[in-house]
Amino acid sequence: MDAGLTAIGAGLAVGLAAIGTGLAQARIGSAGAGVIAEKPEALGTIILLVAIPETMVILGFAVAAMVLLLGG
Amino acid sequence: MNVPMLPIEIIGLKRDLPTILHALRRLGCVHIDELAETQAVSARPLTLDREMLQAQEELGFLVARLQGLLDTLGCSQPGQKLPLAGDYRSQARQGVEVLLPKVQELTSRAEKLKSELASLPRYEVTLRALLPIIPAAARQPGYQSIGVLVSREHMGVLEAVSKRILELTAGQAELVARDVDISTRAMLIVFPKDYTQEIETLLGAEDVSRLRLPTELGEGPPDVILASLHRRMAAIPEELEIVQAMQAEIAAEWCQKLAAWRDALQDELDASSVLACFGETDMTFVLVGWIPADELDRVINSLQEQVGEAILVQPIPLTPELRKRAPIILKNPQPARPFESLVNLLALPRYGHIDPTRLMALFLPIFFGMILGDIGYGLLLLLISLGLTRKKKSGVAHDILLVLAIGSGWSILFGFLYGEAFGALGEHLGLHPLWFDRASAENVAGLLVMALAVGAVHLTLGLILGVWEAFKEKNRKHLLDRGGMLVGLIGLFFLIAIMTETLPRGLMTPAIVLLIIGIVLMGASLGWLGILMGPIEFIGLIGNWLSYLRIAAIGLASVYLAKVANDMAGMAGNLIVGVIIALLIHALNLVLGAFSPTIHSLRLHYVEFFRKFYEGGGRPYQPFKSCMPLDQEL
Repeated sequence: MDAGLTAIGAGLAVGLAAIGTGLAQARIGSAGAGVIAEKPEALGTIILLVAIPETMVILGFAVAAMVLLLGG
Repeated sequence: MNVPMLPIEIIGLKRDLPTILHALRRLGCVHIDELAETQAVSARPLTLDREMLQAQEELGFLVARLQGLLDTLGCSQPGQKLPLAGDYRSQARQGVEVLLPKVQELTSRAEKLKSELASLPRYEVTLRALLPIIPAAARQPGYQSIGVLVSREHMGVLEAVSKRILELTAGQAELVARDVDISTRAMLIVFPKDYTQEIETLLGAEDVSRLRLPTELGEGPPDVILASLHRRMAAIPEELEIVQAMQAEIAAEWCQKLAAWRDALQDELDASSVLACFGETDMTFVLVGWIPADELDRVINSLQEQVGEAILVQPIPLTPELRKRAPIILKNPQPARPFESLVNLLALPRYGHIDPTRLMALFLPIFFGMILGDIGYGLLLLLISLGLTRKKKSGVAHDILLVLAIGSGWSILFGFLYGEAFGALGEHLGLHPLWFDRASAENVAGLLVMALAVGAVHLTLGLILGVWEAFKEKNRKHLLDRGGMLVGLIGLFFLIAIMTETLPRGLMTPAIVLLIIGIVLMGASLGWLGILMGPIEFIGLIGNWLSYLRIAAIGLASVYLAKVANDMAGMAGNLIVGVIIALLIHALNLVLGAFSPTIHSLRLHYVEFFRKFYEGGGRPYQPFKSCMPLDQEL
């Protein structure tokens, strides 16, 4: 039971963070695509902006790993 | 690393201006700045005399006509460097005069034929609709046929017109009507030729569309015209082919010549447009620009060779304001050069600031290798990327392929360390990890620690560089901010080491003090707001550090996808199906393995590393030079 709950907790930690990242990247990505169409030299900045929300899912992964390694 | 640049001013006599311009183009190392934007030298902007303006205008017009001809002839290939004779401008002018009427005539013929080919089938539909109901009178001599088209909404007009025509011709006219499509009805009026004038006038007065057929089809009843239309439709493609063959012949003969003239004249036009950056006095012109510092003697000697002593080339003192405007030339060793494109993708470094290309060349492939870490995928990517570099011989794509090849090399190395070749397939072939098996559950914690350790080194290096930059620039705010981050981060590392019993507990107090000093310094860089923002900024810094966990996370995702490929192949029960499934999933993993580690390693550099020290926004070095080979110049 405990192992099951730990696994669900870890899954939620990474899954919800991934949804948050996905939503943020969808908005930034669509706006970024528009910017690149107008100004191709902004590609680097756009990659940077799209990449910023990824920290959320990595933090989710860190929490999931901690839940599994320490809690399990 | 930036090449040291030297700001210079060049002052010469106006009469020597064309010679100096030509010499500067040949030198090809002077980046000319707009005089108006340089505070160091003051002179009024150069005004071009009427003759020069007229010459520029003519040149622009000639280039536009050449480009128009090239577009019309469909010459899309870049012009080969044909040897051009000295007076190529008048040759180009004569060439355009000769060619333009011919090309225009052929183009207009081709357009006309194409439009005819597109419109004739529409007439065919109408004529076919009328064909079964043609009155016998239509074929009798002395009778004429007129077709009209009416939309469904105006059907009443058709009835009124029919009535009037019958009245006019005392019942001698015959009228038949039929639907052409769901919205249009066609009517054929056959009447004695004596009434032509009256009926034309009547139709003109009413709101009906005449079915006007192209004159080439002649006159007569619909069946005669339809036959003529078919003959015409069969003849048009042949005519079009002849016209297009003539166009192709002209293109084959002229395209290279036109493109060479266009390039040479455009080059002249570009050269003359630089005059807008110059300044003048009554007798002299003046320009300011930048050259690589070691080119000064060459520039002086070369210009003096052309005009003797009547030229002054002298360096301008490099003030802090001027320094901000210095153009950038990156100079890195050959293996690091492909990474310049990745740095430029974000922004060119500012002059005098750190060029992170070499650091990126060191860390990015290692990160890539740590993430992918597979001998099989690494080898395949190495072969593919090296193979593709043969096709893409220059440009950003070429550089990215080289970066991928270097990363693949590291991936092979880490593949040996992790003992991976197409996931666990290598293990079945006798491959054993030289370091640790990252796919195994008991090693996941070690993998995470490795990623964090790499992040700690990378971030600390970034912050040390940031502190050095701030110190060099005497920027107190950056010094406090980056220094605070560095001190706080070191305090945090100590704390973690103490909590994991790597360091003795006696160091707890100094570690906490370091952490607090770091946060206070970070806060101090932000003023009063820093009381609140300091701790938040520090949490952001921890987020930056944890972000390096992606090295472990993305790597694990790749390992497990490879494991899925191998396991599914085993579960298929049939060797061929199993191999196909494994190949498909491994192919997917290979594509992901090329993109994902590149993007994530880039992100770690752009977001986590560069933001600690990097000052972007440098201006690219664009020397004034000719695009044409020197022997082709005037």
